Amino acid sequence: MSAVGKDVPHDSARGHVTGESIYVDDVPPLFGELVVDFVWSPYSKARIVSLDLSEARKLAYVYTHEDLHHNRLGPIVADEPLLVDDGLCTFRGQPIVVVAAETRAAVDAAKRAVRIEFEELKPILTIDDAIAAQSFIGETRYIRRGDAEAAIASAEHVIEGVFFNQGQDHFYLESQAAIVQPGENGAMHVLSSTQHPTEVQEVIAHLLGLQMNQVVVTTKRMGGAFGGKEAQATHPATMAALVSQKTKRPTRIVYDKDTDMHVTGKRHAFQNRYRVGFTRSGEIVGMKVEFFSDGGAYADLSPAVMARAMTHAENSYYIANMDIRGTVCRTNTPPNTAFRGFGGPQGVATMENVVEEIAAFLKKDALDVRRVNCYGVETRNTTPYGEVVPNNTLPRLLTELPERCDYRARVDAVRAFNASSQTQLKGIALSTVKFGISFNTKFLNQANALVNIYLDGSVQVSTGATEMGQGVNTKIAQLVADELHIPYERVTVMITSTEKNNNTSASAASSAADLNGSAAADGARRIRERLDELESRIGKQETWEKLVKAAYHERVSLGERGFYATPRLDWDWTSGQGTPFLYYTMGTACSEVLIDRFTGDLKVLRSDVLMDIGKPINPGIDRGQLVGAFIQGMGWVTTEDLRYDEKGVLLSHSPTTYKIPNINDLPEVFNMDWIDVENPINVGGSKAVGEPPLLMAISIWCAVKNALQFVANGDIARLKLPATNEEILMRLTEYAKRGAAVA
Amino acid sequence: MRDFVLVHINGVPHRIAAPRAFETLSRFLRYDQRATGTKIVCEEGDCGACTVLVGRVEDRQSCLSASEGTEPRQAGLPVLHYRPINSCIQFLFQLDCTHVVTVEGLARGGTLTPVQDAMVRCHGAQCGYCTPGFIMAMAGMYECTSHPTVGDVRAALTGNLCRCTGYDSIIKAALEATDQPKIEEIYPSAPIVNAIKQYECDAVRLQGLQASEPPSLPGGQEAGRLGGFFKPNDLASAIRFKSENPKCVIVQGATDFGVWCNKRGFVAEAMMSLDGIEGLGDVRHEDGALLVGGRASLADFESAVRGIVPELVPIMDRFGSPQIKNAGTLAGNIANASPIADTLPFLFVTNASLELTGLSGTRTVAISDFYLGYKKLDLQPDELITRIIIPLPSKDETLRLYKISKRSHLDISSFTAAMLMRRSDGHVDSIRIAYGGVAPVVLRLPKTEQFLTGKALARETFAEAGEIARGEVAPISDVRGTRDFRLQLAQNVLQRFYFDIA
Repeated sequence: MSAVGKDVPHDSARGHVTGESIYVDDVPPLFGELVVDFVWSPYSKARIVSLDLSEARKLAYVYTHEDLHHNRLGPIVADEPLLVDDGLCTFRGQPIVVVAAETRAAVDAAKRAVRIEFEELKPILTIDDAIAAQSFIGETRYIRRGDAEAAIASAEHVIEGVFFNQGQDHFYLESQAAIVQPGENGAMHVLSSTQHPTEVQEVIAHLLGLQMNQVVVTTKRMGGAFGGKEAQATHPATMAALVSQKTKRPTRIVYDKDTDMHVTGKRHAFQNRYRVGFTRSGEIVGMKVEFFSDGGAYADLSPAVMARAMTHAENSYYIANMDIRGTVCRTNTPPNTAFRGFGGPQGVATMENVVEEIAAFLKKDALDVRRVNCYGVETRNTTPYGEVVPNNTLPRLLTELPERCDYRARVDAVRAFNASSQTQLKGIALSTVKFGISFNTKFLNQANALVNIYLDGSVQVSTGATEMGQGVNTKIAQLVADELHIPYERVTVMITSTEKNNNTSASAASSAADLNGSAAADGARRIRERLDELESRIGKQETWEKLVKAAYHERVSLGERGFYATPRLDWDWTSGQGTPFLYYTMGTACSEVLIDRFTGDLKVLRSDVLMDIGKPINPGIDRGQLVGAFIQGMGWVTTEDLRYDEKGVLLSHSPTTYKIPNINDLPEVFNMDWIDVENPINVGGSKAVGEPPLLMAISIWCAVKNALQFVANGDIARLKLPATNEEILMRLTEYAKRGAAVA
Repeated sequence: MRDFVLVHINGVPHRIAAPRAFETLSRFLRYDQRATGTKIVCEEGDCGACTVLVGRVEDRQSCLSASEGTEPRQAGLPVLHYRPINSCIQFLFQLDCTHVVTVEGLARGGTLTPVQDAMVRCHGAQCGYCTPGFIMAMAGMYECTSHPTVGDVRAALTGNLCRCTGYDSIIKAALEATDQPKIEEIYPSAPIVNAIKQYECDAVRLQGLQASEPPSLPGGQEAGRLGGFFKPNDLASAIRFKSENPKCVIVQGATDFGVWCNKRGFVAEAMMSLDGIEGLGDVRHEDGALLVGGRASLADFESAVRGIVPELVPIMDRFGSPQIKNAGTLAGNIANASPIADTLPFLFVTNASLELTGLSGTRTVAISDFYLGYKKLDLQPDELITRIIIPLPSKDETLRLYKISKRSHLDISSFTAAMLMRRSDGHVDSIRIAYGGVAPVVLRLPKTEQFLTGKALARETFAEAGEIARGEVAPISDVRGTRDFRLQLAQNVLQRFYFDIA
């Protein structure tokens, strides 16, 4: 009768396939509702010389920063103005003026009537420019162990280089959106497409001069989020709330796709310098890596993203002497933000790149280099930041996957193919991931849940988890059903509301099911204990429904608030040491690619993924996370190409120009599997799966690099990320020219 | 002359007049009908979230299904033939005498149809925002075939983006739903066809509004509100209207026009549909040439070439989604005059010509003479493209087509090329080469062609030809690729060609 471990459908699936599921913009307009929009800076950096709102005010409600009680927000430090307030626009897309009217056409007319004279200033648009200008957000941070400098100096071999990765747009299909309904005595009721209702609540209250208890934020579901609605859903919701506060009318704000892509932050571009010393067998003896991320104009979540990049810098490999530095660059782009993986992909890709380069240098197979360096189970299992890797399954995965996917024979076949084909090139790589689970910030690792049982035996559960497609509500219902010993169908997870659950953390860091599931299970368990106690007094009841009735008549409470705080966690930035993670989700992936030597066209022939995701609460949902994240990662490393002009104008701002994977891009052979290992420290024996599989797609990028190695004339092939057809062709052309010059 | 269009939606007839008829179908569904299952995401036909089925009584009948041919037509009363389209770039005025089926219209009585049920079982939906579009695209696929292959599924769903699932579960669901009913089984054609029959011969004229009248619809956007719309029922009226309204836009598929309106606020001075004109929808194979009518859809063109120009099939597969190809026309692809239009290099090397009809009759112009400059055409204000004549490659000619784009499918090209070669004894007898994406118009490469003529087929020769070709083009850098990238492609593609034919 256990529901946990069962492949039950997503609790919204039926609504999704019939079109009945309600998203923010599907809610019918409320009486008197206003459409809210905003005028944003058209320049990456500009001074506002004059602002004339007189014409616009004849057409619509128009507000500026002067209408706010406070004007600074930010999830870590409140450094970002909601609306430009010092006459200086610091990124293209920055809101300046909020406009609202009864119709879309009137809003558009009023936006056109806003007269702003700008003085365009020279922006900082790249990491190089920011470093040159010493334009940073916060201090450089360090994680150090041993003496990396000395170890590298005395190493047999040394490689150095720079790893570049571009950002990535979230491309959630439902753009940022919110509806606000003003209530009595200044109260606000907000329906927001957010991963973090509490943050929306807190920011609205603070900026509008309300108490948090006057603001209720609800989230039914999001049409995708991927981190993009963790910190940046607050902006539209707060703009709408401002208008509702001023007009006492309901408001709605919905970004169109192009606006969304222009004005919101993305995954961070990184530019990482590394020096690594190693032995002739490929064992890394020391490594220095200096991370620079493009944080954009304000802090947003950039320092935390950098922290995760740094704590994933060594990935699955034990490096005795390591020096990791991280600096967030301040540029004039929209503040970059959370995106599935949260810095982990950038850190891991840098390390996997290094491993590929060591193998190329030593003319060894990269798998052997990975095995030599892989974390041990009993020894060599402490990270540079001092956390011991618990229940390490990496060595097992690194043995099993190569066997399953016939790695060695395929490496030989790739070599033979490349020796014979004049028109095509193949590459193969097997990469790893060790992804730390928990928020790096200790206090975020808590959750509460409300469990209510009704007289007919049906159950409502409310938590701070938000549903963005990942199936967290389905998993929570499964956990609660098992704790209460009732069929899954009796449990419904309710709309997320700050009225039901206070001070919640974002559904992020892959941990929404871990935290909220644990809290909900805790609440359910305590009710069940009371019911068991009752049954021991009055005797076993025939059915659940009879038991509930009996409990009611005996005046036993049928509601409970559960709570969970992740044990063990500890982190100290001054030392760069601690135990930031409860456990790690681990995996390996092998990808093989085919490249056209004349056009640079890339095809993924085969990907095999084998992971340790514990015992899934819902294997169907977890498989969906694995496949979906992998393909999203494949987009990041191949076709998703954010292009800007020289003034920082985003040119790829809609699906016509920004190419996320299409149904025809799936690897021709695609095997996704996990090993059967329980994770005793987490709810239901499960592991978090939201982010880690995204990093498995780095195997595709490594395979491209491996292919280029065959034509690099003995040099180490270099490759930027993403490996677009253009990037590949330009590298092929460069190597062909260099080869011709040498010949 | 009617002043409204008749559109059935999920079986219910709607008479829609100006200005409402100037709205996009997606906005009308969501904000007027409150049928919010249809989602609006990109509003440019590139994500498929707004996919619906449009049923028409058709003289043409083609299916974009590789594994199964066109199913024979039933005798007797005509039936509605349903195709998926993107409702975000389709205006109500284009949908006269059609039946629109939305996601709300499938599960009648609360019972899921097999594609819906399979999507639930296979975890084909995560966040759910793309799901209604996928459901409708799958239903569209099952209109054409009952036992799809994986290839059919990929072809049918290439126009639908999903950011959550990675598609694997969706493919599985699509393959499992083999007992999906035809729309005919859910909505019998007879009553709808009978209703349409009373109206389908009418011309339609929708008056534009005065500029002083503010837009008033909940969707907030009315493409043709100033110019008005005309759907004539004969060619002479069409030509007369065009001569009287020289800036009239022929809105046939609206696959690009819809984007202009949604994204750039384009307002046409007048608009015309050729839907009411007999014969212009035909695609015929005659005397070694393919004759394509002026309003024949890209889908019909693709069906026609499938058996006779196999080299074009992979290009058409990647050119666009079924939703786009069902709406867009070959004439539109030509008249839109993009230098990276995917059909143009093919039309250039086959020496295709255009039949233009105007007040003074019909003339024929070679495609290579049709483009006078960037988006400048040899087309008089009163003229319409009424036919495209494509001489088909003969058996002793070798045709190769290339489309290079960042993403292989459903992406606007960075670079395109076509080569048509005649050879004997290991030599090039003659060759025609056309490139797109390297100049303001599609180019023939006379110097490269001349160099290759008479040469032996050897890699070195084509390598040298590549260098000549590189000198014949002048690409720009843009979002789809840098100048250097395009120059390298212009050079390399001739070697790629050599290996493909050697």
